[in-house]
Amino acid sequence: MKVNQIYVNLPVKDVQKTKEFWTRVGFSINEQFSDDKAACVALNDTIYVMFLQEDYFMTFTNKPVAKENTSQVLVAVGLDSREDVDKIVNTAVKNGASQHEEPQDYGWMYQNSFWDLDGHGWNMTFADMSQMPAE
Amino acid sequence: MNITDIYVNLPVKDVQKTREFWTELGFSINEQFSNDKAICVVMKENHIYTMFLKEEFFQTFTNRPFAKGDTTQVLLAIGVNSREEVDQMVKTAIGNGGSKYAEPVDYGWMYQSSFADINGHQWEVMHGDVSQMPAE
Repeated sequence: MKVNQIYVNLPVKDVQKTKEFWTRVGFSINEQFSDDKAACVALNDTIYVMFLQEDYFMTFTNKPVAKENTSQVLVAVGLDSREDVDKIVNTAVKNGASQHEEPQDYGWMYQNSFWDLDGHGWNMTFADMSQMPAE
Repeated sequence: MNITDIYVNLPVKDVQKTREFWTELGFSINEQFSNDKAICVVMKENHIYTMFLKEEFFQTFTNRPFAKGDTTQVLLAIGVNSREEVDQMVKTAIGNGGSKYAEPVDYGWMYQSSFADINGHQWEVMHGDVSQMPAE
């Protein structure tokens, strides 16, 4: 079994602010799938994040929306360079996100992370798999 | 900015049971990134992965308590290649300890069905033909 695309759906308080935030961080918005209740951020051409207004998000689940004091998910994405990793995290933090863990450098992999405006956790990574140490 | 790949990280109670569940659904496991605390399910080679981490291990990556399964922070929607695959995956999931929380929806250009996995994470499986999506 293989999937051809993924949409990670996350609840947000303010769709417009979320749209501005992710645009500043450097991603484009898929307007076809966006409206006043949802913003579709294209991470690439098969991977999307749908940020849904909390009340709208609630219509898709039979459980209450999580408050910001727990984690159900941490989303890690791979980027093309260390510079991109730092650029995204620095831009995010300047625009209202907060630093999560300090950057970690494993040699073959570099990672930096932030909590977005709604407290969703994001890990930005750059890895050179050819340099991954064998166990 | 474009990303190269995504790893969606979710907490689970039992890594071995989770491995069996996702293998039953037809996915392969990336053993290089799996051990007794985590399994890496390959959803689309080189692009889309889900990492299921034992709760205690997941906890080491966040300074907030992990969710206990009674709330929703994320809904994961995945596209597959046919309606038959949508139904097959949901049926297999429910036959293996998953549960149903919403009825299938048929929009004509898109068909979608959903299940909660054995750890309560919610998955929307869909098949869509965007070229048939109605204009507003």
